[in-house]
Amino acid sequence: MSREGYTGFTRGEARTATAGSLRFANFGPFGKIARLPWSIILLIVAVGLTGAAMLFSVGWDPVAQAPSPDEANLWRDQLTRLGIGFVLMIFLALMPLGLWARFAWPAYVGVIVLLVLVELFGVMGGGAARWLKLGPIVIQPSEPAKLAVTMALASWYQRMMPTGGQAPPLWVHGGALLILLIPAGLVFHQPNLSTALALAAAGVMIIFFAGIAMRYVVGAIGLGIMAVPAIYTFVLKPYQRERVDTLIAGITGQATNGLGESYQIEQAKIAIGAGGFSGRGYLQGIQSQQEYVPEQHTDFILTIIAEEFGFIGAVGLLTVFAFLFVWSFRVAGRNKSWFGRLATIGATSTIAFFAIFNSGMVLGLLPVLGMPLPLISYGGTAMITVMACFGLILSAHLHQDEKLSSRGLF
Amino acid sequence: MARKLSPEADFDRRMLIMMGVGGTVFATLVARLSQLQFLEADYYKELAAENHIRLVLAPPERGQILDRFGRPLASQRQAGRVSVVPERVSDPQATLAQLGKFIDLPDTRRDRVLQEVKNNRIRRAGFVPVTVAQELSYEEFARLRVHAVEMEGVDVQMASTRSYPRGRDFAHVLGYVARASADDLTRLSEGRSPDEQRTFEELLRHPDIRVGRQGMERFAEDWLRGRPGRRRVVTNAHGRPMQELEQDPANAAVPGKDLYVTIDAELQRAAIERFAGESGAAVVVDVSNGDVLAMVSTPAFDPNAFVNGISGKDYAELRDNPMAPLYPRAHGGVYPPGSTFKMVVATAALESGVVKPSDTVRCSGSYRFGNRTWHCWKKGGHGTMDMHNGIKHSCDVYFYEIARRTGVNKIAEVAHKFGFGETFVLGMTGARSGLVPDPAWKQANRGEPWFEGETLNFGIGQGQLGVTPLQLALMTARIAAEGAPMTPRLVGLGPEDEHSITLDAPLDKDIVDIMQSGMYGVTSEPGGTGYRSGDLGLGGPRMAGKSGTAQVRRITQAERDKGIRKGVNIERELRDHALFVAYAPADNPRYAISVVVEHGESGSGAAAPLARDILAAAIKMDSGRTPLYSKRADVAQPPQASDSAPEGDPA
Repeated sequence: MSREGYTGFTRGEARTATAGSLRFANFGPFGKIARLPWSIILLIVAVGLTGAAMLFSVGWDPVAQAPSPDEANLWRDQLTRLGIGFVLMIFLALMPLGLWARFAWPAYVGVIVLLVLVELFGVMGGGAARWLKLGPIVIQPSEPAKLAVTMALASWYQRMMPTGGQAPPLWVHGGALLILLIPAGLVFHQPNLSTALALAAAGVMIIFFAGIAMRYVVGAIGLGIMAVPAIYTFVLKPYQRERVDTLIAGITGQATNGLGESYQIEQAKIAIGAGGFSGRGYLQGIQSQQEYVPEQHTDFILTIIAEEFGFIGAVGLLTVFAFLFVWSFRVAGRNKSWFGRLATIGATSTIAFFAIFNSGMVLGLLPVLGMPLPLISYGGTAMITVMACFGLILSAHLHQDEKLSSRGLF
Repeated sequence: MARKLSPEADFDRRMLIMMGVGGTVFATLVARLSQLQFLEADYYKELAAENHIRLVLAPPERGQILDRFGRPLASQRQAGRVSVVPERVSDPQATLAQLGKFIDLPDTRRDRVLQEVKNNRIRRAGFVPVTVAQELSYEEFARLRVHAVEMEGVDVQMASTRSYPRGRDFAHVLGYVARASADDLTRLSEGRSPDEQRTFEELLRHPDIRVGRQGMERFAEDWLRGRPGRRRVVTNAHGRPMQELEQDPANAAVPGKDLYVTIDAELQRAAIERFAGESGAAVVVDVSNGDVLAMVSTPAFDPNAFVNGISGKDYAELRDNPMAPLYPRAHGGVYPPGSTFKMVVATAALESGVVKPSDTVRCSGSYRFGNRTWHCWKKGGHGTMDMHNGIKHSCDVYFYEIARRTGVNKIAEVAHKFGFGETFVLGMTGARSGLVPDPAWKQANRGEPWFEGETLNFGIGQGQLGVTPLQLALMTARIAAEGAPMTPRLVGLGPEDEHSITLDAPLDKDIVDIMQSGMYGVTSEPGGTGYRSGDLGLGGPRMAGKSGTAQVRRITQAERDKGIRKGVNIERELRDHALFVAYAPADNPRYAISVVVEHGESGSGAAAPLARDILAAAIKMDSGRTPLYSKRADVAQPPQASDSAPEGDPA
């Protein structure tokens, strides 16, 4: 993999290069669109449509044999979001990496400012201050933070990666950690544990792939394991501790009181288990159709897939996700710029983290946190974030040979 | 070794590591899915099946209350009911406005419905209908049925509801049912095991279930209620029924048992009609066995108004009505018996032996005792009176004298023998004992000794003495039955009455004969106070009776002098009560009656004609003939149903 020609641009030259790659005429008017990986895009859309179909099933009234009027909007809303997300994804995919890189720091700084404003003037909701009200617009800065942090970290390494095949010095990784911890800390403090964890997961993956020495990786994992009891005792809130207790009880097969937290997990397990190998059939899941699983349209939507399409459906869905993630990682590997590589790693890790954590918690292997299943769970913000992440990955695929300057990125 | 690699090469190596980690995670998830969906699938399938089968409570049909000939007095009726289903209504306000065009919908009810719709939605019980109006008229029902489709989430159905087809006629006997209140729950679930109690409360809270709040409905609650059943139903997580399953007949609801009262509903009707709007009471008793054949208290309220909850305004109207329709006069109204008490005094005098029937007293119109003068009702006096004439003319002076000779304690003793001072519950609520005063009572309650002058008042049925029309009817029945023991009954076929009282204190037949002849004289000999009422108009049978006038307040000397204490010169509330007790036929007594016409002024004038006509009706209708339930008594009754349902989870 040759790295020549990546550095030494002046500021003006970088602009020219960026502007040049913007011109569609380079490849004919629709050349770029034609070069998009349409089979992958179709797969993404197919997963999204599966989600809408499952939401139709959630909103089905088995007595009336018709959509229940209360829940008929679930799948329509989701289809609308999928459409908006699709357009956004294609638009972002066409943006050259240079443009992404140029927006990295303004986006990062903007998100930090918004997060601080949330800290100061945030609207409370569900026991946490997560929203900012600007006149009629309500924004949740922790959502754009996911992409902004990824872009900022990728941009940081693009700038700091030494030439000549050398690994960056330790202080560069330290700087990256700082870039990660400021927004992650602010989000954690809201508190919004699931987003903070997602940020941390993406950031840690970027630092890992940027080449931090293995001994630090091993050391951090060791420290993390040792810190578990302390975190459990001092950091977790009582309700979070209860979730962990429920989880451990569920995995080890102890009896639970069947109420609250454990009720949800218990009903989820019954729904999944009752699906068996081939499932009960679309709209036929007795556990699901009778609304025994709370939050089945959002975080626990995997249960209705597992009940109505069984082991085949659930594993099939996980396989499609796994395929998308492997493909995305390979996009990262093929990219010529550190920005492209690491941004793709970050975006993929964000989506993968949600997919894995969501499946793990629905299957009773991880504690219950507000983690949606990407592309499938009902919800607008998550859909937009996931589609934006895919947009970044597709852009990295489309612009894998784009040359990026290491300067001019600040 | 890692040191030697360029970052680019290291990136590829780390990619492999991450792929390995990802593969492990994927394998873990698939392994967990296999565990749940292969290894434990049967277990979870079973759990899922159990999860959704509920045993839903099936309310039993409440037993009917029938009169002695099987005419329904309280029954279950299908009535139109309109409700809204919260989950099918997008704008409840608009739907209610639409409904308002077809039925009367006051704002208070509208608000209550809106609140309930909201509550059901919050509880995720949007499938539970909220009743908007019940007891729709046929016209309303028909119109709503047609227009229901145009309105969102409106449900028009027939539902089983308690109904009193004879309305006011039996209000004070039957009482009424109502939705169980917190008090009812506590009262009715007393002494049940916690397990039973849970099912029981579930039953009582069921929207179709009513509990007896007053009267016979309350007394016979356990008899009438029946036993709830359990239906196996597939429900969703919120308890919404999804599908009916095959039912186990052993778990079917057992309807409540029918209850027969001894009353003849037609006689009751005739008696009420005869009152023609006057307030008062009448009780007819079968002389042969003490069965109550009519139990009239008028005016009355319509118990149908209570079944689905009476509005505060309507209730206040009943409560504040000067005619007191809520007041159960027949068994809970306490009146001074006036001259109708004279048979008791005469019996006491003869029993004590200080008076012989032939002893005479001269009545000059007044009676001097101590430093006071007692008056006879007849200003000029009756002349020489023996016992027969004393009763026949109702001579007060005669009774002042024999009461004084007999003494208060003996009179009180005989009064108790006749049942005065006893509470005859007979399965109703509101029964009162009245009061038979004596020196011990006065000392204990008033802290004063008994004055002998009070004995004179006692002798003409005035003073502290208070009796109920039911007690008067029973007294008359015992005289008519020649003193035979008697157990008054109102429940013909129903639960055991633990308050049952048998009147079996011995009465001397010779003495009773003298009472009978006196009462016959009242109605059938010239000069009797009720002479004109003696003929029943049936071409033969006559009645024997005794009139009474009960002072509502004392007559002042000024009024006595002026002679203005009757008719239009005195406000209705202050006019005397008119009483009459009688039995018929005089020569072979079958029916005994007491009649009180409130503020009727004259027992012989206002009450006697009623007594005559009601007795004539009883004879004509043959009210005392063998009741239906005694024919059915040999037919095996269903075993006493317990009200605890078969085991089931509280859905």
